[in-house]
Amino acid sequence: MNPTLNPLLRRYRAPAGYLLLAVLAYLLPYQLGSYDMHVLDTAFVFGILAIGLGIVMGIAGQINLAQITLMGVGAYTTAVLTTQENYGFWVAAILAVLASGLVGLIIGVPALRVQSHYLGIVTLGLSLAFTDWVTTSTLAGSGSGISGIPVPPLGGIDLSDDYLYYYLELVVFVLSLAFGLFVVRTRLGRRMRAMRDDPLAAGSGGARIPVLRMTAFLLAGLYGGVAGVLYAGLIRFVAPETFSTADMFLLLAMVVIGGRQSLWGCVIGALALSVVQDELTDLSTYAQLGYGIVVVITAVVAPTGLAGLPGRIRPLIRRQREQPALAPFQPYPATAAARETATGRELLRLDAVTMRFKGLTALREVSLSVGAGEIRGIVGPNGSGKTTLFNVISGLYQASQGTVSFADRHVHNLRPYRLSDLGLSRTFQNLRLFRELTVREHVMVGLDRTRPGWAWRYAIWPVGVWRAERRLGAQADELLDRYGLAGFAKATPYALPYGIQRRVELARAMAGEPRLLLLDEPAAGLNATEKAQLVEIVRSIRDHGTTVIIIEHDMGLVMSLCGKVTVLAAGQVIAEGAPADVAANPSVIEAYLGRAAAPRQTDAAEPAPSKTKEPTV
Amino acid sequence: MQVFLQTIVGGLNLGAVYALVALGFALVYRTMGLVNFAHADVLMIGAYIAATFTVSQHLPFAVAVLASIVITGVIGLFIERFLRPLEGRDFDLMLIGTIGFGIVLESVATLIWGATGEAVPSPVQTRPLVVFGASVPTYDLVVMGVAVVAMLALSLFLERTRRGVAMQAVAMDYDAAKAVGINVGRSNAIAFAIGAGLAALAGALVGPELYVSPTMGGSIGIDGFAAAILGGFGSIPGAVVGALAVGLLNSFSADYFQGYADLATFVLFAVIVMIKPTGLFGEKTVLRA
Repeated sequence: MNPTLNPLLRRYRAPAGYLLLAVLAYLLPYQLGSYDMHVLDTAFVFGILAIGLGIVMGIAGQINLAQITLMGVGAYTTAVLTTQENYGFWVAAILAVLASGLVGLIIGVPALRVQSHYLGIVTLGLSLAFTDWVTTSTLAGSGSGISGIPVPPLGGIDLSDDYLYYYLELVVFVLSLAFGLFVVRTRLGRRMRAMRDDPLAAGSGGARIPVLRMTAFLLAGLYGGVAGVLYAGLIRFVAPETFSTADMFLLLAMVVIGGRQSLWGCVIGALALSVVQDELTDLSTYAQLGYGIVVVITAVVAPTGLAGLPGRIRPLIRRQREQPALAPFQPYPATAAARETATGRELLRLDAVTMRFKGLTALREVSLSVGAGEIRGIVGPNGSGKTTLFNVISGLYQASQGTVSFADRHVHNLRPYRLSDLGLSRTFQNLRLFRELTVREHVMVGLDRTRPGWAWRYAIWPVGVWRAERRLGAQADELLDRYGLAGFAKATPYALPYGIQRRVELARAMAGEPRLLLLDEPAAGLNATEKAQLVEIVRSIRDHGTTVIIIEHDMGLVMSLCGKVTVLAAGQVIAEGAPADVAANPSVIEAYLGRAAAPRQTDAAEPAPSKTKEPTV
Repeated sequence: MQVFLQTIVGGLNLGAVYALVALGFALVYRTMGLVNFAHADVLMIGAYIAATFTVSQHLPFAVAVLASIVITGVIGLFIERFLRPLEGRDFDLMLIGTIGFGIVLESVATLIWGATGEAVPSPVQTRPLVVFGASVPTYDLVVMGVAVVAMLALSLFLERTRRGVAMQAVAMDYDAAKAVGINVGRSNAIAFAIGAGLAALAGALVGPELYVSPTMGGSIGIDGFAAAILGGFGSIPGAVVGALAVGLLNSFSADYFQGYADLATFVLFAVIVMIKPTGLFGEKTVLRA
C-alpha cells in the first residue's frame, strides 16, 4: 500500500477495481463475434482448471501433472452418465465433480510418500493411464470419444447459446476464484503455503502434512471436475485428445507464466494463453515453440510469473524506506499457570534413548529428566548428538530404542504434529522460516491450533472461518507487539536482518503457548545486545509457564540462564548439574578440549552415571 | 511355452532400451537431484536424427547413431547451461524448466520433420534366429549388445577416470565436492551431456522397432524412469535390473491386458513408488532438521 495515498481512495480502491472488472465482464460479450465468444468460453474452463492447479502446485507445492486428467474425469463422467445412463445433466454434473474429487485423492496418494520430481513423474504416469483407459474402454467410446451430451437445462435459458453460456461460466468462475482466494488467504491455505515452504517446520508447528496434501489434491480434483462439467456442457463432445500430456503441459505453461503462487496469476495466465493459442491456431506448432520458450525463460528469470512482476518492480521505483527497528520485547505477565509449574513436576523424561543411523550411533542410552518450570541447558561439542536429541524429542526421528514421555504420557513414535498438539514446540538450528509468508503469517501459523476436521467449515459455514480468522489476526497482532515485531508484520523473513529472523522463529514457536519449548542454538549469529535480549525473553517465557530446553554453545549465556545443564559427548550424557559444577567437571573439560587438558583426577568427583560404555565412533 | 519365450525376448529387448533411458535419468538425477523431464524428448530427437541420417543421407547406421549422440549431447549441454542458475536452488523450477525444454524440443521436431512421424527400416536385414521355437530378430540382439557395451563403458568411465570419480563425488556430497575443488558446474554439464547421449542412443536403437514421431518419447520416458526408480537410482546394476523388470512387465502386460497395458504398467509403477520409493537398490536418505 502506498502510504501517501488518500485514505478514502485506498479504502475503496479494491472494491472499485472489482466493480470495474464485473462491469467489463458483463459487457464483454457485446463486443465479441460468435467465434470469439466460443474461444472465451473455452478459456474460462481452463481458467477454473488453472485455479485447481494453482492451489495444488503453487499453494501446496505438490507437483501434479495429472490436473488435465481431473478435468477429463469430470467431462467423461458427465458424458457417460448423460448419454448412456440417461441421468439429467445437473445430477450427472454433481456426480462428476464428486468423481473428480475422488480421483484427485487417488492421484494424490503417492504424495504421501514422494515429493517433487518423483511426484511429478508418478502423476504424469497416472495421467497417461487415464488416457490409455479412455482410448481403449468401450464405455468411454473406444477412443473416438462420446458425442451427444445434452445441453444443460437452466430454467428457460438456452445454454446452447455461447453468449448465455458465458454468463453461466462467469458466475461459476467468479465463485470458484473467490472460494480459492478465500481458502488461500485463510488458515487452510496458510498452512498449505507453510507446508510448501518448509514441511518440517510446518509439521512441527502442528500442521498435518499428509492431510494437507490430500486436501490440496481433493481441491484440485473438485476444480478439475467443475471445469470438466463446464467443458462437457459447452462442447457437448469429449475425446481423449483434449486431456493429453500436451494439453497438460499447456496448462502448466499457463500457470507458470501467469504465476503459480498467485491464483490471480494462474487465472490470467490461463485466459491469456487460451486466447493466444487460439489466435495462432494456424501456427500451432510455432505457438507451442513460443510458450515452451516462455516457460523456460519464466522459470529462470521470473519464477513468480506475471503475477510476481509488480512485486519485483515496485522496489525499483519506490525510494527505499527507512527500515523499522526491532522494538523491545514486552515481558509476559506472570500467570497462575506459571506458579503451578514452579512446583517442578517432571515434564519430559527420556529413558535410555538410543538413536542409530546405519552404522552410526548418534545417541547412546541417553536418559534425561526435565522438570516443569526449568530452563535446561544442553551443551556438548559439535557432533555430540544435541540436535539429534531434539529431533527425537520433537518426533522428527523415531528413537531406535528407549522411551520418551512428555507430561506423564508415552510419546514414543508420535508424529511431530501430535507432539505439537500436546504442547511441544521448537526452533531449528538453521532457521526454518517460510520463504513466502509474511512475519504476521508466521505467527498466525503458530497460533493456528485447529484440527483437520475444522476444515469442514470451508464447505458449510465460511462465515465462521472468516470470524475465526479475524480473531486469529487480532491475536497475531498482539503477539507481534509483544515480540517487538509489529514493524515487520508485512515483510517476508529472509529479507530481514538475521537477529530479527531469529526473533520471528521464536515468536512462531511461542504462538501456540507451548508447555515445553526446545531452542536449538537460539543465540547463534546474534550480537551481544541481542543475546542479552534473548536471555530476558527466555526468562519471561519460563515465568509465563513454559519450560525451556536450550542447546547453546555460548557458555556465558548458558551460565546466566540455565538452572541445570546436561552435557552430551559422543552421543552420551557425560555430566549433569548446576552450570558451575559442570564446567569444572574433568570429563566435560576432556570432552571439549581433549584428554591432555583434563586435570588428572582419579578418584574424586567422577562423573555422570551413564558413562559405562565405550565411547562411540 | 513358445509364446512365453517370445514375450521374454520382447521384454529383454525393451529392457535394453529402458536401461539406456534409465541410466541417463539416473546419471542426471544423482549428480543434480533433478529428473530431466526433457529426457524423453531428447530421446525422440536422437531417434529422428539417426533416422534422417540413415534414410535420407544413406549413412551407415553406426555413423548415424554416433552423429545423433553427439548432436543431442550438445543439446544436453545447452539445456544444462541454461538452467544452471536454478541448480541447487529450486527443484520445482528446474522441473518446470526441463518441461519447457521438452515442449520446445517437441515443437522443433514437428517443425523440422512434421507431425506425422515416419517408419525407419531395420538396419539389420538378416533372418531372425530361432531359439526353442521363439524367433529372435537379429536386430534385437544388436540392440541388446549395444546396450551392454554402453553400460560397461559408462561404468568404466565412472569408476576408472578422474572425471568419472569426481562426478560420483558430486553425487554423494555437493558441498564437500565443491570444497575439494571439483568443478561442480562442469561435472553437471558432463552428466547432462552423457545422459542426453544415452537417450539419443536409446532413441536411435528403438527407432527401427517403433514408429518415430514427435510424441514417441512419452511412455518410453516414463517407463525408463520407472526402471530407474525400481533400480533405486543408486547403481548401474540397479538401473539394469530395474529396466529388465519393467521391460518384461511391459511385454507381459501387453499380452495379458492388451489395450490396457499402459494403464496396468503405470498404476503398478505408482504402487511400487508408494511401497518403496527408494527402489530395490536405493539408499534410504535421512531427513535433517
